[in-house]
Amino acid sequence: MNRRGFLKTSAIASLYPLLGACNEELRWQKSAYIKQKSSRVAVLAAASYGNGLREIIIRGIKLFGLEISGKRIVIKPNLVEFDPKGVINTHPAVVEAAIDSFKTLGAKEVLVAEGPGHRRDNEYLLTASGLYDVVKDHRVTYVDLNTDNVRLRDLKSSFTNLKQLYLPETLFNADLLVSMPKLKTHHWAGVTVSMKNMFGVVPGAIYGWPKNALHWAGIVGSIVDINSSLPIPRFAIVDGIVGMEGDGPLQGQQKNSGVLVLGDDLVAVDATAARLMTIEPQQVKYLNLSGEFLGNLERNKIEQIGEDPERYQQDFKVIERFSYLKKIIS
Amino acid sequence: MLDEAIKLLNQGQNPDGGWGAVPGKQSNTESTALGLLALRSLADSSENPAVRKAEHWLSSSQRSDGSWPYGAGATAASWSTALALIALSDSGVEGERLVRAGNWILAQEGSKPGILAKLILALSFQKKAVHLNDDLIGWSWTPSSFSWVEPTSYCLIALKKIKSRLSAKAVKERVDQAELMIYDRMCEGGGWNYGNTAVYGDPLWPYPDITALALIALQNHKERTENQVSLRVLSKTAAITDSGLALGWSSICLALYGHDNSELRKRLEEKFVKTKFLGETKAIALSILAAGDRSRLFRV
Repeated sequence: MNRRGFLKTSAIASLYPLLGACNEELRWQKSAYIKQKSSRVAVLAAASYGNGLREIIIRGIKLFGLEISGKRIVIKPNLVEFDPKGVINTHPAVVEAAIDSFKTLGAKEVLVAEGPGHRRDNEYLLTASGLYDVVKDHRVTYVDLNTDNVRLRDLKSSFTNLKQLYLPETLFNADLLVSMPKLKTHHWAGVTVSMKNMFGVVPGAIYGWPKNALHWAGIVGSIVDINSSLPIPRFAIVDGIVGMEGDGPLQGQQKNSGVLVLGDDLVAVDATAARLMTIEPQQVKYLNLSGEFLGNLERNKIEQIGEDPERYQQDFKVIERFSYLKKIIS
Repeated sequence: MLDEAIKLLNQGQNPDGGWGAVPGKQSNTESTALGLLALRSLADSSENPAVRKAEHWLSSSQRSDGSWPYGAGATAASWSTALALIALSDSGVEGERLVRAGNWILAQEGSKPGILAKLILALSFQKKAVHLNDDLIGWSWTPSSFSWVEPTSYCLIALKKIKSRLSAKAVKERVDQAELMIYDRMCEGGGWNYGNTAVYGDPLWPYPDITALALIALQNHKERTENQVSLRVLSKTAAITDSGLALGWSSICLALYGHDNSELRKRLEEKFVKTKFLGETKAIALSILAAGDRSRLFRV
């Protein structure tokens, strides 16, 4: 591209966020456009759930220059169901390391919050998964987002007909929401990583279990609409030490990748996570839509500031209906 | 444990008379309905000002269409209407309120996939994801969504409790079909989870709290094989699920079916000592209702 072409493209690109206000085809509000010219993601090696996770996470957070001191941090793990033989949830050791890391970096308060999507028995899920001991030992508050006080929030995009959603008050009172999903394939969405994990912020007491109102509205559109409309900045720490392939998010098989994936652009984090599973991000519908305005998914727009992701790439199996996700484009 | 649970419940009541999910949260209909049932199950409850305050909160938050919102900031009509109705059905509240609530419940139906969606699915070569009879209608959590076991169970209990005040034909039609829906959603081998038996052929497992609720809703079919099988599943799953919610509902259910629940109640007490049920109003209220013969409040 010559200089004139570059300037022309740049000028058009700079107007892109404004198009939402004047083009009926676009389904997001101007204020929903948070995509940067490029994004950074850190894939960090973490071989096991043993010692050293705290240091890895602190190193990762520092790579992004996040200002943590004095902030109220909400950690949102993926705690959806419990199966003693399965690997459904974010491992408590990773959550523990994250709590410790944010405290070490000077957070004013760290909360752990989740609204389990399948099972509403919060006490059982917490104790069976081991997360209860973590929050108790670290004296952090656990908030059940399914039954929290709520506020009605206008959605900033319209990939569903929901228009508004009740969201937990805890989110509105925090400075940073840290999505901490498990690296998994998903039988409805293709993959479930940091953006699908946000289904857990939608209160079950209003929308039910298994958050069925979102399924009726459309899972793909719901993922995009929720992520476009959250009231506070986000960060992601993906537990990819042990993930799940096949019929996820509950009934798949264990698949080890030995990594944590961190980033402040959740689209770029999920795109990188998809590539780690040898899944083409552009084929994942929610990522494709989100890539228009919420973040970057193209490989050349994501600077990898940790390990080389290709070293940790694994071939995660997907169910038959998602076989097209394995057709690599980028 | 009982005295301490009652004390905790009383302490957690908000000044407006309702209860939040945990102390400090805004009042919601579910917690208030269960809190009220628990306090009303105690001796001399008619003299208890906390009972009158809770009844007042529930009465004053009923919407003009007869429904209740969930509360805690949410104002739309909700599934928790059935719980409010259960809680108020044996109280001195005006019968007209109960009738309005009952008729609202009768007017609500879980949605089912449209003809086009069914046609696409039938013509596709893809393996069917779930095997549910979606023609069977119960009740959903929110309007315009699918029927699920828990809201359907609450609605069945509520309708069965106040059926004499409503159109017998309308109640029978809805109850008969909703019961079929619940039986259709039974997990392989018995018991229930939120309402799905398998996905892509991989079976999903039953939860004790939902199994107990479904069995309470189906208590007038005690001799049916499905009930008997599911009672055994309830005992097995409750034996490995340590939580106030699971042990509370399971104890109430076993008592209603005339089974010994002493072991579950013992574990309920142990769990209370250990976690105080994380301060959850619902679980504390259920632990009170599980003691003595208080499960009678769920008899239909």
